[in-house]
Amino acid sequence: MTVDEIRELINLAAETGIAELEVQRGENRVRIRRAAFAGTPEIVLPPTYATAPAAAPTPTPHEAPREKPADLNLVLVKSPIVGTFYESPSPGAAAFVRVGERVQPGKVLCIIESMKLMNEIEAETSGIIESRLVMNGQPVEYGEALFAVRTV
Amino acid sequence: MTPSDIERVRREFPGRVIDYFGSIDSTMRAAAGRAAGYVVVAGEQTAGQGRHGHSWHSAADSGLYCSLVLKPTPVLTLALGLATADAIAQAAGVECDLRWPNDVMLGGKKVAGILVQLSGATAIAGIGINLSQTAFPAELEALATSLKTYTDAAEILIALLREVDRYTSEDPEDILRLFTHASSYACGRRVRVDQPDGVIEGTTAGLDASGFLIVRKDDGTDTLIVAGGVRAAGS
Repeated sequence: MTVDEIRELINLAAETGIAELEVQRGENRVRIRRAAFAGTPEIVLPPTYATAPAAAPTPTPHEAPREKPADLNLVLVKSPIVGTFYESPSPGAAAFVRVGERVQPGKVLCIIESMKLMNEIEAETSGIIESRLVMNGQPVEYGEALFAVRTV
Repeated sequence: MTPSDIERVRREFPGRVIDYFGSIDSTMRAAAGRAAGYVVVAGEQTAGQGRHGHSWHSAADSGLYCSLVLKPTPVLTLALGLATADAIAQAAGVECDLRWPNDVMLGGKKVAGILVQLSGATAIAGIGINLSQTAFPAELEALATSLKTYTDAAEILIALLREVDRYTSEDPEDILRLFTHASSYACGRRVRVDQPDGVIEGTTAGLDASGFLIVRKDDGTDTLIVAGGVRAAGS
């Protein structure tokens, strides 16, 4: 994971106003925890279960983004289970959703597979997919943010 | 399965809706949107579904192809593997192995497959059991097998529905214990596993409290397998 990607996640956490955001890409995992109204987000890089290669460099405090007011119109769609993220119903098929696409409640956004249980994750609000936070085929944790949806 | 066969199954489970189709695209599709307890069985599937885009070979009248609508429970997929293996043992007298999380194996090949789709408040379990196939398409020949001599699909379905009810009522801890006991893949087995960043090889070291498979690599580190294809190393 690059510093730019981490910076993007910090911006996302700041925009949404959420307290904590955890994202894994490959074997790198970043958890961003916002100190309550204190300004600079805190970044924690916990050890992964498997032995991971050297973690991505942690941004130094001066790289912390400008503070923005919490964006109440951004909603995070989180994984209800530990599993593998799939963007499409089968390999090679079109993704369930694209960034920029408008979705309605009940629209399937992705599948999380856990032990051959395919869990369809549906949109709970109307909005536009602002960003996708995990890569196809990547493992995700319980509560991990999958998509940011801008409500309309 | 004949109409009298399906009547025999319905008599065993009064109060449950059990639909039968001689031929259907997919029992998973037929079960979508139905309430918990619903069962659909097909003589053949023209577009049988497997895990994540795989298909399930479902030739006419040579297998049991069904979907069950269930209430979601913890470690459901492991429970369904145990239930299927037990049903085969009871109705056909054939002892099978379980490959994590729930492939039912006979002589190192897959004899039954299970897939679960969680959608809203229900789980739809698709279960395919190869009963009497004597040959498979070339690409499956090395991977698939059948019970071969046994063809009473109704008796297997009756045992299956009963065992699914039983195992899905068990405590998760009991399911993990029973699975570890029943599966040669749970502990001490050399395996290769497809992971997002490549194939890993190691020795299985049991299940964690959630039912995920622990694979110990030769460098001593453990990897937790939450999804993905597990196969015996060297196969």
